[in-house]
Amino acid sequence: MGELIGTWIGALLTLCIFSFLYRDNPFFRFAESLFAGVSLGYYVGIVAVNTLAPNLFQPLFGNFGENWDLLIPLLLGINLYTRFIPSIAWLARLSLAAYIAYYVGINMVQKLQGEVVPQIGSTILHPIGGSLTPVDNLIMIVGVLSVLIYFYFSIEHKAAVGVVSRVGIWFLMLGFGAAFGYTVMARVSLLIGRMNYLFIDTVRVTSQHLS
Amino acid sequence: MFWKLRLPLIITFFVGIVPIVSFFLTERVPGVSFARDTVERYMIIIAGFALLLGVVNVIQGNVRKIERRAPGWPFAISLLAGLIIMGSFGLLSAFRVGPFQGILTAPDGGDTPFFWMTRNLFNPLQAAMFSLLAFYIASAAFRAFRVRNLEATILLLAAFLVMLGRTPLGEYVFSWLPGGERWLPAATDWIMAVPNAAAQRGIIIGAALGAASLSLRVILGIERSYLGMREK
Amino acid sequence: MKLERLARIDRRIVYLLIGIGTVLPILFPIGFPVSTTPPVERLFEKIESLGPDDVVLVSFDYGPTTAPENSPMAEAVLRHCLSRRIKVIAIALFPIGGVTMAGEVMSAVTAEYPELRDGEDYVLLGYKDGAQAAMKQIGIDIASVFPTSMDGRTAGEIPLMRSVRNYDDIALVCSFATNIIGEWWANLINAQFGTPIAVGTTAVSAPKYYAFLDSGQMLGLLGGLKGASEYEQLLLDAYPDLRARYARTGVYTAMKGMDAQTVDHAIIMLFILIGNGIHFLTRRQRQSEESG
Repeated sequence: MGELIGTWIGALLTLCIFSFLYRDNPFFRFAESLFAGVSLGYYVGIVAVNTLAPNLFQPLFGNFGENWDLLIPLLLGINLYTRFIPSIAWLARLSLAAYIAYYVGINMVQKLQGEVVPQIGSTILHPIGGSLTPVDNLIMIVGVLSVLIYFYFSIEHKAAVGVVSRVGIWFLMLGFGAAFGYTVMARVSLLIGRMNYLFIDTVRVTSQHLS
Repeated sequence: MFWKLRLPLIITFFVGIVPIVSFFLTERVPGVSFARDTVERYMIIIAGFALLLGVVNVIQGNVRKIERRAPGWPFAISLLAGLIIMGSFGLLSAFRVGPFQGILTAPDGGDTPFFWMTRNLFNPLQAAMFSLLAFYIASAAFRAFRVRNLEATILLLAAFLVMLGRTPLGEYVFSWLPGGERWLPAATDWIMAVPNAAAQRGIIIGAALGAASLSLRVILGIERSYLGMREK
Repeated sequence: MKLERLARIDRRIVYLLIGIGTVLPILFPIGFPVSTTPPVERLFEKIESLGPDDVVLVSFDYGPTTAPENSPMAEAVLRHCLSRRIKVIAIALFPIGGVTMAGEVMSAVTAEYPELRDGEDYVLLGYKDGAQAAMKQIGIDIASVFPTSMDGRTAGEIPLMRSVRNYDDIALVCSFATNIIGEWWANLINAQFGTPIAVGTTAVSAPKYYAFLDSGQMLGLLGGLKGASEYEQLLLDAYPDLRARYARTGVYTAMKGMDAQTVDHAIIMLFILIGNGIHFLTRRQRQSEESG
């Protein structure tokens, strides 16, 4: 019975959201606010169950002697919330600094070693190897260089530079066109999933429970 | 001055260089791998706390809305109700209070209340909200996708080829010619693997260099806006 | 004048046509053929080369928003792995729905293999915050990131986890991703640990990932519903026993979804053509009126 009720709640909430396509209305506003609330509630639960309980509270309170150092991330984490108390809001900066700094540091290595080096390497090494044909290799090199020149704004895009950056725009347009085609594909897929829920899943669950 | 400004910048520098130094020196310098492992273990926990900051903001904003009876305040009640009910089930499951054992499957094999709400409220609402985009992209394609110049024509042709070539339609267009059913899918494969990849690669390299230089500015304390301070 | 009115047609008519174009093929399946592409074939071949001694790490990095694209690909890859008795460790890094998607997909697929044991042949470790920090720390010690499984067993209590310490013990990472986490597996984990990475991504991200594919940072790529349908096709060709599972009415598969996808693409292309036709004709009309 729980499945039947749940499926119908899901179907009705879907229809509430779809009603916005006709025009804004209280059903949509209700579903929209529920969407925000339930999503945040979901997140609270998942963080508590999957991260804070197994990685912090269980080891800390289960075996304090070996895991006392977890008091540091606990205090840094709680300290983030001092930003809501105006008189000591500056304290949150200390935790924020540590949090942002780690991800900024990792991002720097990730971008340079994980993107710039392999992507440039893959481009300049193409003429002597790789999975593409020699002509395609040449197109790849021209494409990458022209796009980079298009994004290089320290020199005026005139004469030869202007021509090359124009070629860069053509490559970008090809890329954006492909991205548009794929975006259409993605958006339509989401609708297919929803319609499948409304017209197949709901009907199946209902008929299972009625028969 | 030291506590409010210098100390956050000192912390930024020393924590920020941990992933960089450990990348180069892990095996060679004692203590580096310890620092890396410690910071990474801590970050998993701090990230959990940090990402919940938004929840406090939303609760504050909506409670204020209800108190002031601002326009649409009844919807703030449904938002808070969803948050509190779903969040409570999650918290009770996290600490395994009473019958709330686990988050997916209850001891009797059925769904936990949290998972029931996930299946029947969270999933449909999330999916329905984003599926609206299919309608909007179709409407935008009809109203705004115009061939006005050479660049727009290239964009439109690529989009058309991909939309055709990534569905069985692409196989039918030239199927009346010998071997023709592979032409459009092959053209799509080529567009994706060569000119598209070249454009994406140019964007990736450019954006990565920009992101890396911004990272360096943060670590060196030049960029301070994330702390609510002005640039040096 | 009439043309201009057509150009300003009520947007709800456009919505209605898209809605009809989606619903009709779902109710009355067409069964279009599916052709495969090299990025999908490469992942399939990689998994074909693995066996019962190998471990595949499957990361559920998507939520319900893109489940119609990501879930069929995750299910197909899981079925492929379990059919070949490859060990599977499932995790989730996407906060908004990743772990519950993992729960749904894992329980549905593993139920089809009653001879396989939870904890010995597969395990769901759950979700973890911290993204890059968690991904990097798995490279050192997976048990320090996931001290317990989703159902509360400690790493020591799970036989499968005793033989897996870090990426060195993992033959392949498959990420099913809705956002940037998919590329982090390539530009962070493949780059720093050399672990083979395959990504099944929502179609929006697929064009960007071709650059990672060409540089060898990703060994395979499943782009959107089309990529998922291709994998299903390859799986059914190689494992005909699974055909009954995919043919069942009421079960959503990417191959079935491609019917509606194809019809909607045709409608949208028609919209673009009509929109441009109106644009050209009205422009010509205006030009002739001005010159007249």
